Amino acid sequence: MTTTVETAPAGVRAPKMRKTLLGYIPIASPFYAYHPVTRLAMYIFFGVVPIFIDLPEINFVLLLIMLGLLRWGKVDLGRLRIYLPLIVSVAIFMFTMVLIFPGRDPSYTPVTIGPATLYYQPVFFTFASYWRLMAMLFGTILYFSTNRERDTLVALRAVRLPFIASYVIGLSIRSAGMFMEDFRTIREAEQARGLDTGAMKFSDQVKLYMMYLIPLFSIALRRADEISNALFARGYTLTGRVEGGGQRSDYILTQYRMQLKDWVWIVIFGVLFVAAAVAQYGFGAFRLIHSPLNLYLRSLLGIG
Amino acid sequence: MAMAVVIKDLEWKYEHTTQFALRGVNLEIPENTFLGLVGANEQGKTTLINCIKGLIPHSFNGVYRGSVEVFGQVVKDTTSLHLAREVGLVFADPEAQFTAMTVEEELVFGLENVGYDIRKIRARLEWAAEVTLIGDLLDKSPYDISGGQKQRVAIACVLAMDPRIVIMDEPTSMIDPLGKQFIFDILRKLKEAGDRTIIVVEHNIEQLAPLADQLALMRAGQILKVAPPDEFFADPDFLVEQGVYSPEVTLFTGWLRRQGRFPASAPLPRDLAGGVAAARAALDMGGRA
Repeated sequence: MTTTVETAPAGVRAPKMRKTLLGYIPIASPFYAYHPVTRLAMYIFFGVVPIFIDLPEINFVLLLIMLGLLRWGKVDLGRLRIYLPLIVSVAIFMFTMVLIFPGRDPSYTPVTIGPATLYYQPVFFTFASYWRLMAMLFGTILYFSTNRERDTLVALRAVRLPFIASYVIGLSIRSAGMFMEDFRTIREAEQARGLDTGAMKFSDQVKLYMMYLIPLFSIALRRADEISNALFARGYTLTGRVEGGGQRSDYILTQYRMQLKDWVWIVIFGVLFVAAAVAQYGFGAFRLIHSPLNLYLRSLLGIG
Repeated sequence: MAMAVVIKDLEWKYEHTTQFALRGVNLEIPENTFLGLVGANEQGKTTLINCIKGLIPHSFNGVYRGSVEVFGQVVKDTTSLHLAREVGLVFADPEAQFTAMTVEEELVFGLENVGYDIRKIRARLEWAAEVTLIGDLLDKSPYDISGGQKQRVAIACVLAMDPRIVIMDEPTSMIDPLGKQFIFDILRKLKEAGDRTIIVVEHNIEQLAPLADQLALMRAGQILKVAPPDEFFADPDFLVEQGVYSPEVTLFTGWLRRQGRFPASAPLPRDLAGGVAAARAALDMGGRA
């Protein structure tokens, strides 16, 4: 599949990003030279490997690598600002919880800062978990910022996922996108009629969001009906088989070709994935006790 | 002439409703002809085409009486796969029929369902994209294109499957004048090819009338009138009572006829060229008077 580059008329700046159902992707990107299966393998690697790694330093490095890949992939990093509220609110939630409810363990080391007493072990564990979560989050951001929904479906079909399963996933992604569109439409309609949510109390805003559910669900039900009719009209059957019982062709899959570089990267990701799992669960290589930052802070606080 | 569609005493009542949406419909549509289905809103036009497509009774619950046959096969007893090969339906809201992530996937989805091989899929895809002028949209999401483009994609999806009957339900209802012209150009090409039966539900009588071989008027779940356009527009007042306005040129020529300035025996024109000829004839008659 060749990368398409759209040209804009003279005097008009060519768009660099294209909208997908779930976000934005670059119009041209070196990622597109790789088969969707390779990109899915990369996603699985970056999205799952942080689970094996307790060390915040490694997860931080993974995150930096992903930021580098986003930049290399020509993703407009400015658009990542939309994730900032999520990044901040997760941090606030996690650290607030651990400061208020640190748990009780005689081995915890109290650290007194002014009037407050913190416990080192749960705070550092939360710190490490946060970077693990961030690494996983950026793995997902990297994937959905460089892959269209179509690429995901191609990757799933290429690994022989049954057509019905990949199709249901496709419809679910579509529904999620349509749901967000409908939500935006309803909000805009309300704003057009003078509703100012900024001036509302928080409790009223919560009530308003609950009220959105009614039109959103009725629209979703109608859409489900429409999709069902559309599938019937185009001869779709749940078995994925054609008249006479044969297997259906997969035209889109034939538009993509696996190359040597794809196989090389899939093997690299696979080996690194297995190596990370074995290193952690076989030898405990990525446990918190090996964290240089942890060791430094423990020596600073005199924890044995 | 062989019949593409034969409807006999068709009655249909949707579940949880008290009134029948279709009441004793009888209609025969000859093969490779163009039928325009007109009428005010809520008179049963969409329900009728859903019966021809087989969505009723296969996908809707209700009371079904009578029969619909497509090329001699009873729709009620025919599988969705077979119906997909024979009858293509373009929905009024094109977005309602999109299920895929790109226009290209959207087009090939139906072709894969009916069991075409890759080579045939590619050929059909290229042909449909060329006929509907959507070649530059194939890589785009069907949700990110204009209303007119969406409708052309929806039509391409149906044409790609090469059905012997093409049904369009108000294909121009959501698009701008230029987009409408594109759609009628496609309809004109299909009509000129003359190798498929076309059924179009449309309020835009001005554009529909010149294309149609027959026009059918629906009112309260019944077919009130089926006739070739000349005959159909012979009584414009009757049509207005049923909520259907004849083309302006037909109304104007009808008025000329009532003034004694257009021959009673000549057919009423349906398009501008016919209207100009009628006006010339009226001037000639006026001159003689």
